[in-house]
This record gives sequence, C-alpha cells and structure tokens, in this order.
Amino acid sequence: MKGQFLLAYRYLTGRKQRMVLTTLAVVFGVAVLFGMNAMLPGIITAFRHSMITAAGKVDLSISSKSNGPFNQSIMDTIQNAEGISVSTGILQRNVQIPESLGGTTDPITRSASITLNGLDVETARLVRRYQLSEGRFLEPGDTDQAVISYSLAQKMDKKVGDTLTIPSSQGKADLIVVGILTQFESTTVDEVYVTLPTAQRILGLEGQITVIDMLLDGQVDKATVEKNLLQSLGGGFKSGQVELGNELSAALEMGESVMWLFGIMALAMAAFIIYNTFRTVVAERRRDLGMLRAIGASRKTVMGIILTESLLQGIIGTFLGLVTGYAIAYGILQGLGPMIEAFMRAQVGPPEITAANLAASTLLGIGFTVGSSYLPSRTAMKITPMEALRPVTLLVERRRRLLRAAIGAILIALSIVGLITGDLPVASLSTLAFLVGLIMVIPVLVKPIASTFGRLLSVIYAREGTLAQGNLYRQPSRAAVTASAMMIGLAVTIAMIGLVTSVFDGFIRYLDRSLGSDYLLMPSSLVLGGGNLGAAPEFARRLEKLEGNSGVTTLRLASTQTKGAALQVIGIDPQKYPEISGLEFSQGDPFQSFSALGSGRSIIVNGIFATSSAVKVGDTLLLETPEGEKEYQVVGVAMDYLNAKIATGYISQAFLEEDFHITTDVLIMANRKEGANQTAVDAEIKAAAKDYPAFTLFDAEAFKKSQMEVFQSSMSMMNALVFMLAIPGLIAMANTLGISIIERTREIGMLRAVGSTQKQVKRMVFAESLLLSALGTSLGILVGIFLSYYLLKAVNFAGFTLDFYFPGLGILVAIAVGLLFGILAAMVPARQAARTVIVEALRYE
Amino acid sequence: MAIIEVKDLTKIYGNGDNAVRALDSINLSIEEGKFVAVMGPSGCGKSTLLHLIGGLDRPTSGSVMIEGKDIAKMKDDQLTELRRRKMGFIFQFFNLIPVLNAAENAALPLILDGVKQERAKARAMEWLQKNQLGDRSTHRPDELSGGQQQRVAIARAMISNPLIILADEPTGNLDTRSGDEIASVLRSLVSDWGRTVLMVTHDPRIAAYADRIIFLKDGKIVDDTLMSSDAPENARRLKEKVESL
Repeated sequence: MKGQFLLAYRYLTGRKQRMVLTTLAVVFGVAVLFGMNAMLPGIITAFRHSMITAAGKVDLSISSKSNGPFNQSIMDTIQNAEGISVSTGILQRNVQIPESLGGTTDPITRSASITLNGLDVETARLVRRYQLSEGRFLEPGDTDQAVISYSLAQKMDKKVGDTLTIPSSQGKADLIVVGILTQFESTTVDEVYVTLPTAQRILGLEGQITVIDMLLDGQVDKATVEKNLLQSLGGGFKSGQVELGNELSAALEMGESVMWLFGIMALAMAAFIIYNTFRTVVAERRRDLGMLRAIGASRKTVMGIILTESLLQGIIGTFLGLVTGYAIAYGILQGLGPMIEAFMRAQVGPPEITAANLAASTLLGIGFTVGSSYLPSRTAMKITPMEALRPVTLLVERRRRLLRAAIGAILIALSIVGLITGDLPVASLSTLAFLVGLIMVIPVLVKPIASTFGRLLSVIYAREGTLAQGNLYRQPSRAAVTASAMMIGLAVTIAMIGLVTSVFDGFIRYLDRSLGSDYLLMPSSLVLGGGNLGAAPEFARRLEKLEGNSGVTTLRLASTQTKGAALQVIGIDPQKYPEISGLEFSQGDPFQSFSALGSGRSIIVNGIFATSSAVKVGDTLLLETPEGEKEYQVVGVAMDYLNAKIATGYISQAFLEEDFHITTDVLIMANRKEGANQTAVDAEIKAAAKDYPAFTLFDAEAFKKSQMEVFQSSMSMMNALVFMLAIPGLIAMANTLGISIIERTREIGMLRAVGSTQKQVKRMVFAESLLLSALGTSLGILVGIFLSYYLLKAVNFAGFTLDFYFPGLGILVAIAVGLLFGILAAMVPARQAARTVIVEALRYE
Repeated sequence: MAIIEVKDLTKIYGNGDNAVRALDSINLSIEEGKFVAVMGPSGCGKSTLLHLIGGLDRPTSGSVMIEGKDIAKMKDDQLTELRRRKMGFIFQFFNLIPVLNAAENAALPLILDGVKQERAKARAMEWLQKNQLGDRSTHRPDELSGGQQQRVAIARAMISNPLIILADEPTGNLDTRSGDEIASVLRSLVSDWGRTVLMVTHDPRIAAYADRIIFLKDGKIVDDTLMSSDAPENARRLKEKVESL
C-alpha cells in the first residue's frame, strides 16, 4: 500500500474534531437509510405472518386466485382427484371484535382481531390435528358451539362454557366455548373454530369456502398431483393459502420506496459534506502533498492517500451508522408497536435486517464516502512538487468560475421551461438540471449575496461583518459547497411542507366529496378490509325505511388479482352512490363512468392502481374471480378518501354478487331528510345500529374532524423525517467553520496581536456563520419552490389530483431554521477561535 | 566524473510582457562527492536552479543530466522514481508530515518505495541515531525544535542512499547555533558518506562549509569559486564577494 494507510490513518487521527464531524455526516446518512429500511420489512413480514396460515400442517392447500370465497361444490372434484387421500373444505375470514363485545381496550381501534374458521367437522380432523387443553372438539350437530385458541382464551378471559359474542352479517352471534386448543397448537393469530354451516351463516356466505386442505396418498409426487388438480379446477385457483390484505402490501411496498428515497437523500447530503471536507483537506495539505511528490511519491500514491482516508472514514461511519440506524428503528417500532398490532393485526418484533438492506447500506455508505472524495483526490494527484511551493494564480480560477456560472445559468433557464411545460420525465430531468445549474452558479453568487446580507448584518456586527464577508470572498468555492449542503436540506423542507399543504387540501376535498353524507356507519378500524365483517343487506334496508332518512348507499368489498397485482374491489350502487357520496375523478367523465358501471362489466380504478399498473380509461382488465377470469372495461380513474392508499377498483354491486358472491355491506352512508329533527334521526339510527356491534355510527362532521387529526399526526412523522434531512446542513456548516478556523489560526493570532478582543473574534465567526446560512437559506428557498412544484407534478402523475400551493409556511420555517443553524454551527468554532493563544498562532504553519 | 551536468538551461515564467527569465542559459558541471553552494540575491534564480536539477520542475529549454541521463525528457513516473531513489531533499521549512512521528517521517521515502514498514523504520532509526535523535524517534514535529526537525529531514533525505542531496535554504529557519550544526551535518554527508550536496543559501557563514560556491545574478552564473578548508576564512571572503556583487 506504499504508505497510504499509514498516512491516511495518521491524518484522520491527527484532526479528531474534523474527523468526527465528517464521519457524523456518514453515520447520519447510513442510519437513515439502514434504519428506515430495517423498520418496514419487519412490519411487512409481521403483517404477512398475521395472515391465515396452516403452513407445514397439510400436504397441499388450494384457494381462489382472487383470495375470495368459492362454491363448496368444488369439493366433489377434489375428492375424486387422483393422489388425494383425504380433503376438507374450510371457510376462513378475519373478524374484528369491537370493545362493546369484549374486545381489547386498545386506544386506537378498541377491537380485537380473530380468525373465524368454519370446519367440515367430519373431515377436518382427518387432515389436521387439533389438540385441546380443555373441553371437546366440534361435533357434527353443533350450531353455536366454538373451539378457541389458547391465546384468545387468555386475552378475553374465556373458559369452557363461557359465551363468546362476535359480529355477524345479521348483527352478532353468540357462541358457546366448548373447547380450548393447547398453547402450542395456536398460530400467531387468535382463532375461533365453528362448524362450516355456522361460519357460512355468520359471514353471510352460504355454500362458500375459501380453502381446501388435503393430505396426499403415500408415494405420489406432490408437484404432479398439484398440477393435475389445478388443471382440472380451471384457471381460477392456486396452490397455497388465502392471502388476505395483500392489497395493503402494495401500499407498504410503496412506503419502502419512500424510505429508500429518504435514505439516499440523507447520504447524498453526507456526500456533499465529505466532498467539501476533502476539498479543503487537499488545499490545506498542498505543501505536504507537494513534499511527498518531491521525495518520490507517485501521483497514484498521493491519490491513494486521500481515497484511503475516505475509505477509513466510510468504514467507521458506515459501521456506526448501521448500529445507530438499528437503534432508531428499534425505538420507532417499540413506539409504533401497539398501533401496528391494532391496525394490521400484526405483532411486530425487532427491526428486520435483510441481507439486501445490510449490503446496500454498507455499499452505499462506503461508496458515497469514497465517491465524494474522488474529485478532491484527483486534484491532489495533480499537485506537482512546485505547486506546493508556489500558489496557483487567482486569475485562472476566476475565469473557470465565470465560465461554469454561464453554463449553469443556461441550465437553470432551460430547466424552468422544462418544469412548467414538460411531462413528468421532462420535469424530473429539469429538476436535476436546475440543481446542477445552481451548483455551478453558486460560487459567483457568494459575493453578491454575502454583500447584500452583510449590509443587514452590519447593523449588529459592524466591524466583524466586514471581516466575515472577506473570509467568504476568499474561499467562494468552499462557501458554495457548504451552502449547497444547507440548500438541499432546506429545499427539501420547504418542498415537503408545500406538498403537505397541497396534500392536506386535496384530502380535505376527497373527504368532503367521498364522505359527503350526513351519517357513516362503519367498522372501528378505518381500513375497509382487514377483517371488518360486513352486514347483510337487511341492515341497509332497515335504515332506508327510517322516517328521518332521505337516502342510503353502501359499499361492499372483495379482492382480486389483475395484471399481476392485488386489487381491492369495492361494489357500489351506481345510481345511489353518486347522489349521496362521490369520487374525485382524474380521468373519465363522472356521469358516464357511473352509468357504464350500471350497464355492464365496467370498473373505475383509483390513481394508485392506475399508475402502478399503467392502466387508463378504455383499457380492459381481467379480474380473477371465484367464477373464473372476468373481463372488465376501465371507464374512469377516480379516488375516494378511505381507499386512496390501496389499489382499488369500483364495480357495481350486481356484478360483485354475480362474480364474487359478496352481498354484505362494509360501509353504509345515509343522508338525513331536509328539515328532519337531527336528534330524533340520530336516535333512530343508533337504535337500528345497536344490533350490529361491528358498526359504529359516525356523525360525518365529527368523523372528518377526527380524520384531520389523524392526518395531522401522521404528517408530523413526515415533518420529523423532513427536518432530519436538514441536519446535515448543520453538520456541513459546523465542519466548514471548524476547518476555516484552523486554517486561519495565524490570521486570528495576528488579529488578537493587533488588538482584537476575544469577543470580537467570536463575533467575527458568528457573522461568518450567519452569512453562510443566509447564502444557504436563500438558495434553499429558490430550490424549494422549484422542488415543491416538481413534487406536485409527480403526485398528480401518480393519480392524486392536487393543486399547487406556494410554500409560504415552508419558507418561513426555512428562514427560522437557517438562522438557528447559523448560530448553532458557530458556537464551538467561535469559542475555539476566541481561545487562540497568540504566540502559538503566530508560529502556526 | 560529473554527476550533474547542466547545458543551456533556461527557465521562463509567464509569457508576453509578464515573462520573467529566472534562469538564462546556465551551463554547469558538478563532480561527484562535492559540496556545492549556490548563492545570490533574492530572485537571482538559485532556488529555480535547484528545483530543475532536482526534477521538481521542468526547464523551458536546455538539459539537466544526472548520471548522464537527461531528466528534462523523462516522464513524470520516471522522474518520481529518480527523486525517490537517487535524490534527497532538505527544505527551509523542514516539510515534515505533521501527523507522523520522527521515525515515520524519516522512513517515508522507503515506505513510498514499497519497503515494509518495519524494515523502513529500522533504517530510519539508524539515521536518527546518527543524528543524535534516537531518543526522539516517537515525537511528532510539533514536539521537536527547529534544529531537530531539520535533522529528521536530513535522515529522511539520506535513508534511500541517494547520490545527490539537494538542500534549499536548510538553515533559513534556524538560529545561528542550529544552523551551524546542520551545515556540519551536511559537510559530513560529503566527507564521511561520499554524497554530492547541492545547497542554496543566502548566508555566507553556511556557504563557507562548501567546497565550491556558485554565484548567480539575474539568472546567470557570475562567479564560480573553489573554497579552502578554512571555514571562517571562507566566510569572510564570501561576505566580501556577496557585498561586491
């Protein structure tokens, strides 16, 4: 290694403060990247584990590709199939038990989740073992008897002989506990076993099952049996269990992408800081590097010293970043655990370290660090022995700077045009061009911006301000790079705050449009699927007959697969739904779309599905249904509030019944008659809803208010993430000021020698810091406005129609943050500068 | 035999009206095993001459022959290797690496040449001991006096057994006593170790340790004198000569 490691190690350990600050930037970047991505897989895995599984207990399972119920007459085909020893049909659904029926008192959902399993008692025990700790198993004549899991018995304090009341499509069902499974028999979910007819009655799915479990004959080839069986059943079936909630996976996976994006941005800003540090390091060590060249170090050796130094920092920073990231993820999961358990029925364990995340975070952490030192190392490589003894002329640097600025200005102009007039790909390129252009222009802007703010600063820092300005003019490139790190952090803050404002406004509109009715009857859990049991149509009919109601409409729910993705299917009444509620359309005419729904197999898809599956009006979708594949024509792209984040399609309730066999309502909306007494109507509806404990009555205005609160609190988490991205800017400034103080040791000694007080030296450093932050903030505002417009374009492209709001609040926040950072970053360097020992400083080389 | 031969050596900085002719067709021959000092007023080109002979810079025209090879025509890698193996440099401001200790600084040329660190440090220790710095080998430059730092630089210059030592104002940053010590050490490199030393200095007292003094003025050689072995007498004569030039 020809001394590179020795020199790199010594230089690193010789400048501890700088090493700490630079390494901190890497730690931060890797922590965000690794930590965020260790969190989400854990949640996704737990979520998938919470789905129904009897994995490993049977030889083969068959379920519908649509993950929905299918006719139990399929059993005849199964029983006659070759290679099957014994088979049993099961009806499985997740059901939420509200607090009113003894569910948990979780503050968020006030419900417990169970899996209801309807078993064919005659064949179930032939296929799988059910071991009991108490009581007996189900018997063929049982109607309201149930066997429950050990964990459920513990949670709800149930013994053999007790009554367990659960919601049903007819309101509620009282089940007598006749047996409790052993602790080791249970899976991760709380289970209730009833006879198949009982489950079909409770769920309103007469004659339906969701999965067939089988044991095979000895000596048969499983793959052959499976293949033959699926062929004989036709195309609508798959091997494996039902995967409920799969449509939520798409949203969770999108969350993963967002986390990666945040992580990469944090690392990119770390790269700025490292680049700045090494640029300065190379300039500072010109004499050393020239001397090394003089005594025989080759250019490659000199380059290698810089790269080795950055590699060491990258390794240390990445390692610490991984540890920190894990700790942050652990802390966040501990905090969010109860909420995730309640919403998704998933028990979240510690953060999940996937090989991919670990490898990617390590490679990116080290890669970004070494990569950002590459250009400075090339500069170092070019230092000749003579250059170390004579400085480079200022004229040459200035000419280069002006040329770069001219190119940058052209790029900026072109990018603005591209952003406003172009589509998303053009706008994306324009954003990149804008950033590159601005970075090229910044060194030339240092003097005018510093001079402008210098005049303001001179009100407080009359004499020191002039010195501070001079310090910036002397090193415009270094000031520019420092400002860039701050600029990006603040720009993202401004853009995200602007986006949040737009999103907030947009969601208020969705809320008003799609929840425009006076009353909402819906399950406590806000996610429509995920175990919320629907009510038979009788409930809605009962509500319609009430004196005070002017109209009732309902939503029904199924799931399917299409274009290789999971899709939640919502059944609506195409006539009543738009009268009482509505959808926010981004493609297609609302009137024509709803009419089309009523006249044929048509579907309105939401933006998130349309974008992820590249679907538009006029396309045809093949939906997997229990009746096989069915063709639906896309007639519109629109969204409603509750389902905006999940891939969703809206079809008529008539076709939902015909193709998916779903007739139960999961959400009911009702309007009060004009002039009717509100209190009386409220009481009427409450009385009707009493028999359906799974449903909670919401006053629409109160519900909207609660939604805004939920939205605001989830945006707080987003804001916290966004503010985190501003932190590297603070590190960058502290780093730059620290380096600058060391470089100017002799100069500061001279200032003190000729009569400057310690206080004046401190004020000079503070003034310089404030000027740097003014530069970074001004540029951050420019980029923030650009970015905020771009992000909105991206969101609109993704199918969420939102309006642009000028990020006024974001700009104010950025100015406050910039000012704060200007002060914070200067604190330690100012104190160090003030404490300079004069005689030592004058001797400093 | 001439170990260094310079023919029509010219160095011009800048161009047009701003051009400065630092060296103007210099011709010079230096025998092996001699101590040569180069003197002259500020801006006369003495450091430039040293830099060109040391391969630190490229001439505008002319040739610099080291052991019969024209180094002006060499590629950068060849020049670098030459500096590493055949030359030793001593600078006015010592130019030690501040984060390395004395032994590591002295060992640098060998380490850069790929010699294992343990072996390189062992050799560095030998040279530090010769320079009475054996007990300071683990000290960093900021923990050494100016004279001690320069002796570390001398150890570094000698460690790869170079043919030529090039010293640019080696005593310029030292007090009188330390300066004399360093000049004595340089003298001993020639008389005891048989090296060729080319030194730039403005101090007649230090130049007096040399065998031969070359005077430069306005980029040209204006005088070339052999010296006797009496250093104080040499110093007196040199002072008179400098004043006359």
